[in-house]
Amino acid sequence: MPEEEGESLIHVAIEAEELFQLGPLSFTNSMVGALLTSLLLGLAAWYITRRSSLVPGRLQSAFELPVELMSGIVSASSSRWRGYVGLILGFFLTILVANWIGLLPGVGTIGITHIDASGHEAVIPIVRPASADLNFTLGLALVAFVMFVYWGIKANGPDGYLKELLGEPLYMAPLMFPINLISEFSRLISLSMRLFGNVFAGEVLLATMIALAPILIPAVFLGLEVLFGFVQALVFALLAITYIATAIAEHHTTDHGEADAAGADHPTAAEPAHA
Amino acid sequence: MEGNVAALAAGLAMGLGAIGPGIGLGIAVSKAMEALGRNPEAAGAIFVPYILGIALAEAIGIYALVVSLLLIFVA
Repeated sequence: MPEEEGESLIHVAIEAEELFQLGPLSFTNSMVGALLTSLLLGLAAWYITRRSSLVPGRLQSAFELPVELMSGIVSASSSRWRGYVGLILGFFLTILVANWIGLLPGVGTIGITHIDASGHEAVIPIVRPASADLNFTLGLALVAFVMFVYWGIKANGPDGYLKELLGEPLYMAPLMFPINLISEFSRLISLSMRLFGNVFAGEVLLATMIALAPILIPAVFLGLEVLFGFVQALVFALLAITYIATAIAEHHTTDHGEADAAGADHPTAAEPAHA
Repeated sequence: MEGNVAALAAGLAMGLGAIGPGIGLGIAVSKAMEALGRNPEAAGAIFVPYILGIALAEAIGIYALVVSLLLIFVA
């Protein structure tokens, strides 16, 4: 991008910037964000399990709120929800914390100054929210992708999964197989791109607003970004649930027919969420 | 000059690409509100499909964003 005068106020970098070299690896500022995310989650988990009580206090209730929300949704999704509830909760909490780290004061503004290749002085922020890096979101989407292929194979068997990819009338397979394959991989792309696009666009929006009107106006957008961070974490987790649940549910329809599948799903919906 | 054309293309990609998702999101939200108004008890049942629907509609807008980002930073 051509550097213009006055543009240095808005710091926008599409890729994570390198802080220092760690052997052959470059240690980027989004890695700091990711480490901070894991550290925060680990500390919260340790603290809350150490002194949890049956009647939750105020802090414990706050920590239980997202867990209760997600486990309620997961347990209604399919009869095998116990197998993937941990994964989904992990996705949700990781993305939530990773998104909200970007809203903390100092993140993206405190950094190291250096002179870049074209001679301009630029600031490299020390912390960048991990989900504003495509590598992080693609990594999460890959985990989700592997999991829903795994659940598809586990529920239907390898041949059942392959039959699902080939499509229903077998003579249509040459047409349907590439389409199904593309649709499987497009889930991977859309999962990662959605999260990255939203968080990165939010970062750019905040940077622009702070550059345009430094007082009061950015607060409105910060509030919006808190909401968006939550919604995007929820969306990622919900889509992962839906993909895994459909991969499992196809098993019922191929084996026992539609009516049985609907009947088999009923008791799970009635099951208590926090069993 | 080339940079200016890329910037124009990026702006057009984002602006035109936001039309479709905007209409789609408007329809989704209006129908969800309608459903909620008719049957407020169904809020829990509507919530998850609603979020999924708007996420899928919004993904198209995100594709436009990715294209315009590519135009600005890569092309």
